[in-house]
Amino acid sequence: MNDALLEIRNLTVRYPGTTAVRDVAFQLQPGEALGIVGESGSGKSSIAGAILKSLGASARIAGEIAFEGRDLLRLSRADHRAVLGRRIGAVFQDPFTALNPARRVGGQIAEPMVRHLGAEPAHAMQRAIVLLRDMGIHRAEEVAHAFPHQLSGGMKQRTLIAAALACEPSLLILDEPTTALDVTVEAQILRLLARLRQQKRVSLLFISHNLGVVRRLCDSVAVMYASQFVELGRVGDVLEQPAHPYSKGLLASRPSLRAASRGSRLSAIQGQMPSAPRPEAGCVFAARCPFAEPRCTGGEQSLILTAPGHAARCWKAKTLGDWPRLAVEGTDLGEFRPGNALVNTNRLRKSFTMRRGMAAWRPSLANRWPRFRYQPTQVAAVDGVSLTISPGEVLGLVGESGCGKSTLGRLALRLLNCTDGSVEFDGADVGRLSGTDLSAFRKQAQIVFQNVGSSLNPRLSVGEALERPLVLFGLAKPRERRQRVEELLEMVRLPASYRLRYPHQLSGGERQRVAIARALASEPRFVVCDEPVSALDVSVQAAIVNLLADLRDRFGLAYLFISHDLAVVAQISDRVAVMYRGRICETGTPAELLAAPRHPYTRLLLAAAADESPTAEPSADIGAGATGCTFASRCPRRLPSICDTTVPTLRPVTSAHAVACHLDPIAKQQCGTIATASIPP
Amino acid sequence: MASYALRRLGTVLVILAVMSLLVFLATHALPASTAAMILGQYSTPETLAALEHKLGLDLPLWLQYWNWLRAMLHGDMGQSLVMERPVAPMLWDAFGRSAILALCAMAIVATVGVAMGVVAGVWRGRWPDHAVSIFAYLGIAVPEFYWGLVLILVFCSTFHLLPSSGIGNLSDGVGSYVSYLILPVITLTLTLLAHVSRLTRSSMAEQLDSMYVKVARARGLPEHVVIVRHALPNAMVPTITVLAQDFGFLIGGIVAIETVFAYPGLGRLLIFALQRQDLPLMQAAILTLTAVFCLANLGADLLYGIANPRIRHGGAVE
Ligand code: SF4
Ligand code: SF4
Repeated sequence: MNDALLEIRNLTVRYPGTTAVRDVAFQLQPGEALGIVGESGSGKSSIAGAILKSLGASARIAGEIAFEGRDLLRLSRADHRAVLGRRIGAVFQDPFTALNPARRVGGQIAEPMVRHLGAEPAHAMQRAIVLLRDMGIHRAEEVAHAFPHQLSGGMKQRTLIAAALACEPSLLILDEPTTALDVTVEAQILRLLARLRQQKRVSLLFISHNLGVVRRLCDSVAVMYASQFVELGRVGDVLEQPAHPYSKGLLASRPSLRAASRGSRLSAIQGQMPSAPRPEAGCVFAARCPFAEPRCTGGEQSLILTAPGHAARCWKAKTLGDWPRLAVEGTDLGEFRPGNALVNTNRLRKSFTMRRGMAAWRPSLANRWPRFRYQPTQVAAVDGVSLTISPGEVLGLVGESGCGKSTLGRLALRLLNCTDGSVEFDGADVGRLSGTDLSAFRKQAQIVFQNVGSSLNPRLSVGEALERPLVLFGLAKPRERRQRVEELLEMVRLPASYRLRYPHQLSGGERQRVAIARALASEPRFVVCDEPVSALDVSVQAAIVNLLADLRDRFGLAYLFISHDLAVVAQISDRVAVMYRGRICETGTPAELLAAPRHPYTRLLLAAAADESPTAEPSADIGAGATGCTFASRCPRRLPSICDTTVPTLRPVTSAHAVACHLDPIAKQQCGTIATASIPP
Repeated sequence: MASYALRRLGTVLVILAVMSLLVFLATHALPASTAAMILGQYSTPETLAALEHKLGLDLPLWLQYWNWLRAMLHGDMGQSLVMERPVAPMLWDAFGRSAILALCAMAIVATVGVAMGVVAGVWRGRWPDHAVSIFAYLGIAVPEFYWGLVLILVFCSTFHLLPSSGIGNLSDGVGSYVSYLILPVITLTLTLLAHVSRLTRSSMAEQLDSMYVKVARARGLPEHVVIVRHALPNAMVPTITVLAQDFGFLIGGIVAIETVFAYPGLGRLLIFALQRQDLPLMQAAILTLTAVFCLANLGADLLYGIANPRIRHGGAVE
């Protein structure tokens, strides 16, 4: 017998037509943290689902899940329920929908204590407040009495963790708990989890698609691919010396937080995960593996030990070298030298009216008489942004969700009209274009969206979707269209036969390739890429980023590359602009921004992405940021006398580096004279 | 919440004011003037002018409106031209009888309809769900007066179980009184039951599929707690709005049903007034119906506000 808290043996989960989990086995010791890493569809969440029995009626589960000495799969419903919430806590991906919108947060934390421990409701509520305080929430009482919609995403996830820990369980299952959150918030939640793990001595089963995140929290890690564990070992071993080619590829294809030269490309894993893997017919990774040889497909691969406590499902694992780097490296194009501006935004501003019409009539009780005043609420999503993009240049735009970066992209293409300011394309004011000029502009400026699922019309075949822009802009004669479609498919490295497929027959990466081909159909010079890889798995991301870089070099395209991921942006961009709440706070080359970030927000982003320093972020102060610097409410350097009253403007630090912060010493010096001279009377 | 309620109230007052203006102007759009209608065949230019002066019909339009509105607000609804009696008492009696009908129907719809929806939503894809679906399709597909006629045929003409028309007298005992109500109320509810149960079913099903229900289950809460305390309150939010809209529909239905069952309520009074061109009666009846409709909507909006924490508790904490 051993003293493992959780021991899973031969776990297999089948759905009609597919096997989601095949023969998975692992142990979790008390206090240990195990990460399970895999891309979507690898079956990682089905393991959590099997433990929680939340897989629905069509799932067939076989094997054994021994938890605290009892097989969960053989417990009655009621007994299983007594374990859930009491001994096992669970936190899921999407904090925005995981709280019941109709009930106060505190009550939702207290409920499991009342159910499982028989606590008095009032007492449980007190405990809930203490727990919230434990989660690093300052105004715990207020939060406990709040409704979910009154809390931010990070705050919601904290309350959900509090609820999962309410009955002091011995196991906490975390299913992608930070995926839906901004990087800075993600870093906070990960630190919180690490601290709780120490304090509460709880074991963690951490499920994620992100190897980097697992590194920060777990002792050991299992890499899952196509329903099987392909590698299992201590976190350090697996991340430093990955044994299985898939793990090698995953690690190699992650963009690092380093500026890359124009010619460099990410190492990518070609192809995609099989949707119905057949391990009995040989290695499931064989189709994508650069080390594959005939023997690999001879029979089922089993986990073999490559080092003590480190196993991989590959017979060659012990002898393999590094993942091959893509050999484009040699063609270094040197640093990009911007020419004349292709796109120029001039103090661009877009405000939305949040409350208008009937709802804008705000009643007030003045002199005891009710009065109604018309007060529409204006919110500036983009607030005075001036940017320049040269032909062939990639401008990266980073920022967290809601900072206005997508709005800016749409403004640049006139998919939205700006409230103020202007966009110039090739010297012409885009806002004034009409008729044939406008259509010529539309032809030259295109967009690729994040949401590959909904940006392609499900009723059109790939060929039809690609023909549309050809017809719309009159670009090819009917007889030539088919040939042109095939050329476009070739450009994005899809076989010509894909012409006849429909979007639902494509994988996420392939759909994104089609979307890129569609944007390229009109031979544009400028493409806005709005989070083009965010919805894709890591192993597919790299290939798409490489494709975009190749297309840039081949056709001299200029991109506005919008992303929340600093590493991806640094990989492809010539210049990066950091955006916070509608304003640009810093611009510079990736090298400058990564090596010497100047704005407090850029530093925060970097620290969160690298998780180096404990960024003690002051709790948000509602009053700050309304009239002065938008970042003031979160800024550790804030000086209220100036930061709360005056909006900082972008001021140069070096020729290509500018920062918008009152307290930046160099920027202040550089512009001190100009600034005082230009103060209006 | 207070600001929300005040805003809603403001909206209702505006709608009522506009409606009263429309009703008033409609009077003036009719071919014959009130005075001419009263005098009928005895009208001569002199008597007409005298009566118009007496009734204030020679005043400027806005003053007439103001006088009429002021009288209405004081409960003076004028004199019925056909019945030659004051409108107000007639109207209130009819209103009371209609209200009984409407409230009984509404109570049934709100309880039985919601219960049917919840059952169907919880046992999705199994026989209770199918039963409710079939019932709902029948209810929605066929107009309610048709069910009225069918019910009359079955229960009155064939089996002689229930009276087919009119209204009971409380002095004959509660049983007899109720027996007159049964058929009209059932007829009124059928369509609405179908509507409400379908809607509750889909919103219940949606809530049961939601993330927070998955989370609640993962906390080991028993299924009945998950359904009643977690899913139901959220499922009720859209249902409440629809119940209020249905109340408006019900008022329309009452006009038809009262005619089918010869039930002496507001609807029948309105039809009578319309047929006989009895202007004051018509104005008062329409205005009352409008007011009831608006107030029902106001009530629904407030209930919605109470049920929906986003409205009840506005801004962010943090
Ligand atoms: S078994 Fe062969 S194909 Fe599979 S991972 Fe190992 S080397 Fe690659
Ligand atoms: S201007 Fe002030 S508040 Fe804004 S980033 Fe600089 S120091 Fe912080």
